[in-house]
Formats: sequence, structure tokens, C-alpha cells
Amino acid sequence: MRRRIRLPVLLAGLLASAGCGARRSTTVVVYVSEDQVFSEPILKDFEKETGIRVRAVYDTEEAKSTGVMNRLLAEKNNPQADVYWANEPIRAGLLRQQGISTPYSPGNAKGIPSQFKDPQGYWTGFSARARLLVVSKTAAHKPAGLQAYLDPRWRGRAVIANPLFGTTTAQMAALFSLWGDQKAKQFLAGLRANQVKLSTGNGESADLVASGAFDFSLVDSDDAVSRARQGRPIEIVYPDQGEDGAGVFLIPNAVVLIKGGANTENGKKLMDYLVSEETERKLAAADCAQIPLHPGVPTPPEIKPVDRIKTMKVDYAEIAARLTAIQPVLKEWVGY
Amino acid sequence: MGRVLSAKNVTLAGAAAVLIVAGLLPLGVMGAKSLGHYGPVLSNARNWKLLANSLLLAGSTTAVAALAGVPLAILFGKTNLPFRRLFAVLFSLPLLLPPYVLAVGWFQVLGSSWLFGLPGCILVLASCYMPVVMLLTMVYLRTVNPALEEAGRLSANGWRVLTGISLPLAAPGVILSLLLVFLLTLGEFGATTFLRFDVFPVASFTQFSAFYDFGAATAAAMPLVAITLAGLLVERRFLHGKTFAFRWAAPAESSRIRLRALGPLLLLAVLAAMAVALPLSAIFWRGASPRALGDAFHRAGDSALRSLLYAVTAATILTPLGFLLSYLIHRRALPGWRLLDALGLFLFTLPGTVLGIGLIVLWNRPATNWIYTTPLIVIAGFIAQYTALSTRLMLAGLSQVPVAMEEAAELSGAGWVRRIWRILAPLCRGSIGAAWIVTCLFCLRDSSLPLLLAPPGLDTLTARTMTLMANGAPDLIAALCILLVAVTALPLAALAFVWRRRA
Repeated sequence: MRRRIRLPVLLAGLLASAGCGARRSTTVVVYVSEDQVFSEPILKDFEKETGIRVRAVYDTEEAKSTGVMNRLLAEKNNPQADVYWANEPIRAGLLRQQGISTPYSPGNAKGIPSQFKDPQGYWTGFSARARLLVVSKTAAHKPAGLQAYLDPRWRGRAVIANPLFGTTTAQMAALFSLWGDQKAKQFLAGLRANQVKLSTGNGESADLVASGAFDFSLVDSDDAVSRARQGRPIEIVYPDQGEDGAGVFLIPNAVVLIKGGANTENGKKLMDYLVSEETERKLAAADCAQIPLHPGVPTPPEIKPVDRIKTMKVDYAEIAARLTAIQPVLKEWVGY
Repeated sequence: MGRVLSAKNVTLAGAAAVLIVAGLLPLGVMGAKSLGHYGPVLSNARNWKLLANSLLLAGSTTAVAALAGVPLAILFGKTNLPFRRLFAVLFSLPLLLPPYVLAVGWFQVLGSSWLFGLPGCILVLASCYMPVVMLLTMVYLRTVNPALEEAGRLSANGWRVLTGISLPLAAPGVILSLLLVFLLTLGEFGATTFLRFDVFPVASFTQFSAFYDFGAATAAAMPLVAITLAGLLVERRFLHGKTFAFRWAAPAESSRIRLRALGPLLLLAVLAAMAVALPLSAIFWRGASPRALGDAFHRAGDSALRSLLYAVTAATILTPLGFLLSYLIHRRALPGWRLLDALGLFLFTLPGTVLGIGLIVLWNRPATNWIYTTPLIVIAGFIAQYTALSTRLMLAGLSQVPVAMEEAAELSGAGWVRRIWRILAPLCRGSIGAAWIVTCLFCLRDSSLPLLLAPPGLDTLTARTMTLMANGAPDLIAALCILLVAVTALPLAALAFVWRRRA
């Protein structure tokens, strides 16, 4: 008899021990959309330095960085997370609209320019990616900005990631915000007319250009830098840097305090840690090659410092609001 | 009244209640959210095209898996081929890995131009799911009463006996395996996305990931219901009334079909090299260095242990649950048995994301935090998703035990519990072992449920591998895949050990 009950009792004991310690004052629960390979070392360092145990949920490439967003939305009425580390601030805006986040302005973010922070503290930006053009070295012509997508010289030779997902969604929302609905819709129609190829993501776009199958694509700076570091035949172009140009769209990471989390004070400590100069230095040195927003923190060698780039002047809160409004347009354009 | 509250009825109703609570309730939550979204889903022409793509992929993959899996099962199960066990293990290896990982392995071998699109998807998914056909056919070939085959051999040669007696008697298992492969391929999303082939689950995924519309996502998953029910009807059509004399034993060496070994061996070696060794060696070549393996263990050793714990626990619950539900269905012991059968299969085909969100909405409340914030929520997800597997496996085993045996025991005065324990369970021990190991393997390789449901800091190895795949070093990812194979081998070894001791 003793033998028969041994396995179930053992399993129950192990399961119970696996679930123990779910909520302690020395714990912080963080949901992370930034790639785990880059975010986990930062969180481990936080654990070492503060003694606060970090319990993290990470996102997958497969879920286009939206898996934990779905989880946050589904958990709205009984939040399990204390902090959300988003890889862009647009969905942080969506959380605010849904009443899932609460304001907190980390003291360590004082040096970060105000355009990268929510004025009411619903999110704080740090370590940005830039939306750059990756251009094949074999291309006959070099594009200078987004209008190249509409230029007949690149008919059927340009590629862009599916705008329903990831940073390309944010880019489109930014264009709608900057240009207004009419011009942005004309741009979308122009992409179709000029036979721009639609890829599943920025990584695929960068690979298509690096292989020479296409001349250029709008991608995230980390996609461009990784191909450059692999020695692939590409060049990086900062789009729309001329006098009339709109500039480069910068997408910072964003850290958000979740309303009703069980470990809010620890959550605030983690937020302060994430937006610090030290974290930005680590993320700049890592393979993700992110651009520091604190003045004076070294930038990855392949990327220009933020003060030497003409950046797009956008209101991220407005982009978040636009995102919901333009979804039917994007959906129709993609053909869903 | 006493009859209604008999041990049999209470136990079977309890088993049905487990499936209803684990699966139907979250489904109800999602179903309620989906009302009002069916019109747009059904009127969207793109969704119909995606559905056609999914059916084409599932049909082609099933056909390829059948064409390869059934002959291999015959070779390994019914002939005297040397090294047949080694080959059976080798061909089963791809089943231990999530299709997405296998797709990455193939990508490293073939590159994008050879692999992307429908043919690449068929190649990857057929090599991944072919073992389901091979193993189930082998299991069912072993259940054929040798007396029938011996009688056949008095007037016919080995191949004639195989095609005229053994294979027709094993047909329920073959059909079950084909249905499983078809449904698994139909619900596949990760590998098809990686291989750039748009399939129907994309419709549901897009509603989740681009629009956060849980209702529309559920509605977009619902056309799978019709296909699942159609599959159920097909399976029922073939399984209905199939009751055979049962005996669980390996065929005697003398009864095996004699082969000239060299030709088939060479053919198998080439096939194994192409279908298994190529993608797996790409993974092993990258990840088998001490440094990469050390890094993988350092980063995911605890996740590997949890994977094993969750999967063994779930399989240990799913096996008796499947046994009881299969009894309920086979004997039509309670009203609504047909609905329970359909519910189980429907949950099996439902995208993990839909089920996962339903479980979150249902259980994430302060009063039920003891479930939601512990690994119990992952176990609940596994039970909901994989009860159909254990039920179907047990049902096929149970259908081969003559009802008369239980009736005779009943007439002799044996109670229901005693009949189950002393007659049915021993006669179905092959199916019980198969149900345990198959559900354990499926839980081990599942990534979508742990990704959504695992409490913070308590993830599984598959979830960790998937999250580290985003810009992770290829060596580390390959080492994590090796770790996954090693972890999956543990329950297989445990079952083999138990089987040997019992034998």
C-alpha cells in the first residue's frame, strides 16, 4: 500500500513546493517583452544587487512580443504582475487605456529626455531601437527615406514587415499621427501600387535584403546591426535626415507599473533599476545594440548617438490612441 | 436511487466532471465572449483560403505520414529485420521535439529557398508526426491475436496474412493515428509561421496578437469544431463494432516475416539519415559542446525538472481519467457519452492560446489563486487539451476486450470496481502504458499552454527554449533542444524499465 501511494504523494509534494513562495515581500513579478537573452541578465543583476527575487514571464518571437500583453489583459481583474517591461511604449499606452497600469515616475529617469516618458508617469522609456533602412550593397540606387517605397525605381525591390505586428505597427501609427489619415492612407496605397513585398517580420526583411533578393527595407536597428556584425553585404541608412525630412522613428523600451500588483514597492525599485544609466550601458554593449537615452552613456559603434540623429517628433500617447483607430485600415490593407 | 448512485456511476460522473471543469468551463467563458464575432469570421474570404491551406497541409502531411509510417510499423513490428528496435527509436526521435524546433533544424540544413512554403511544411510536419502513425500501428499490430495469424498461415504466406488479417485488425489504430496526425497538423501554427505558409490558426492568432480581441480569436478558432466532428464521424465509422480477441504479446520470432536484410536495411538507413539524422545532427552539431550544454543547463536546468514534474503528474492523472472516460464512452454508461467524446476531441484541436486565455479568465480570481498561481493551472491546461489522447488510446484498447468477459465476471458476482481492477485494467495494460507515455510526451513538448499559464518563475523547458529563441545564440538553442530530448528520454526509459520488470 505504501508503495502504491508513494508516486502521487511525491508528485503532490513536489508540485506544492514548486508553487510555494508565490507571494513574498522579497519578490517582484515582471512580465517581459524584451528578448529574454538580453533582459534576463539585467534582472539577475537586479536580484544580486537588491536581494529581491525576480519572477519573470518572458515573451516569444513566435508570439510577436504580444503573448504577455494578452496575459496582462486577461489578468486585468486579478493582476499577477507588478511590472511590465515592454519593448516599445505603444502597447504601454494601450495598458493605460485599459486601466491596467498605474503612474510612477522613477527617479533614475531624470536624465532621459521628456519625449521618451509619459508626462503622467504611466510609462517610462529607456534604451531605444531606431527604425532604419537596411540597404543591400548590390542595390543600384540608395534610398534616402520612406518615400523611396513609392519610387518606381524600387518597384518590386523593397520589402516591409507585416504592419499588423511589432514595431512596424507602431511605425504606421506614427506616420498616421505625423501625416494625418489621408496622406498615410495614400502611402499605404502607394506601397501596394509599387509592389512592395510584405514579410512576416523585421528579421525576415533584413535577411531578404542581406541575401540580395530585395534592395532595402525598414527594420529595427538591432536587426540591421546584427546583419552588419555577421558581415552580410548591407548598409545602414538613417531615413529622412534632410531639412524637410521627418527623421528617424525611435522606439524606446518602456517600463510600466501594474495597478494592483502584490509587490508594488519592489516593482518601483525594479523600475528605477531598469531606467538607470547602468542598465542602458549594459543594453548598449549587448548584442541588441540598443541606443542609450541618458546623455553620456556610450552608444554601440555601429549606431550614431541619439543626439546626432534627426528623430521623428511624435507623441507616443497619441500613437497608442491611433493604433486602435488605424487597425481596421491596416487589417484591410494586409487583407485580413 | 441506489443504482443511480452506484460506485460505477459516481466514479464515471466524477471523471466526466473533471473534463467538464478543466475544459468545458473555460471554453464556455471564451464562447460567451465570442458571440457576435461569427459573422465577420465566416464572411471573410481570406479565412476560407487559410482554411483551405490548412486542410491541404493537414491532408498532405497525413498522407505522407501514412505512406511512411505504416510500412515502417510493419517492418519493425512484423518482420525479422535486424536492428528494428534501434530504427524504431531513431524514427521516433522527431516526435520528442516541438515542430518549431525541428523546423529550425531543417532550416540549418536546407536554408530558406528549399524549405519555405507548403513542401517544406509537409516535410517538417510529416517527419515530426510520422512516428505517431508508426508507433500506434506497431502497438495495434501487437494486439492482434496470434492464433488468428497462425490459422491464416496454414493456407497463405506471411504477406497475405499481414494484408488479409493483421492490418485489417489493426485498422482502428491506424485510423486513430491518421486522425491524430491530421488534427495536430491542422492546429499547428509555430512551424508553419517559421516556414512562411499561411494556415487557418493564423486567423485566431492575429486576433489575439494584433487586436487583443479574445472574442474574435475564439470565433476564428471555431471552424475547427466542424472539422473535428467530421474527423470523429470518420473514426467512429471505422471503429464502430470492431471487437476482437485480445492478446498483448510480441509476436514469436518464428512468426515474423522473413526478409533479406540488406536491401531494406540500406533503404531504412537512407530514410533515417534523410528524415531524422539531418535535422537532428544539425542541432547536435551546434549544441553538443560542453560549453553550450553547460550554459543550457545553467539557464534551464530548473525548467527541465519542472517540465518533467508537470508532464509526469499530468500523464498520471490523464491515464486513469482516459480509462474511465473510454469505459463511459464504450459502454455508453451515462447519458451524454457522445458529447463527452466530442468535447475531448474538440479540446484537443482547440488552439492552446484560446484554451489558455479561457483558463486564465476562469481561474484568475482571488478565491482560486491556489490554482492559478501554482503549477496546478498548467496541469489543468494539459488535462483539458490531452484527455482526448488518453481516452482515444484507451478506447481503442478497450474495444478489443470482449464485453462478454466483464459480463461473465458480473454474473459471478464481481462488483464493478473489482471487474475494472482485475479484468479490464490488466487486459488493457498495453493501452494504459501507451496512454501514459503518449500523454507524458505531449505534455513535455507542449509550449503554448506553459507559455500562457506557467506561473512567473515556474516555466517549462519548452517555454524557456521558445523565449530564448528570440535572438538567442544558435548554440544555446541547439543545446536546449538536446536537453529537451534528454528529458523526454527519461519517462521513456522509466516505462521501458517497468515494462521489462513486468514482463
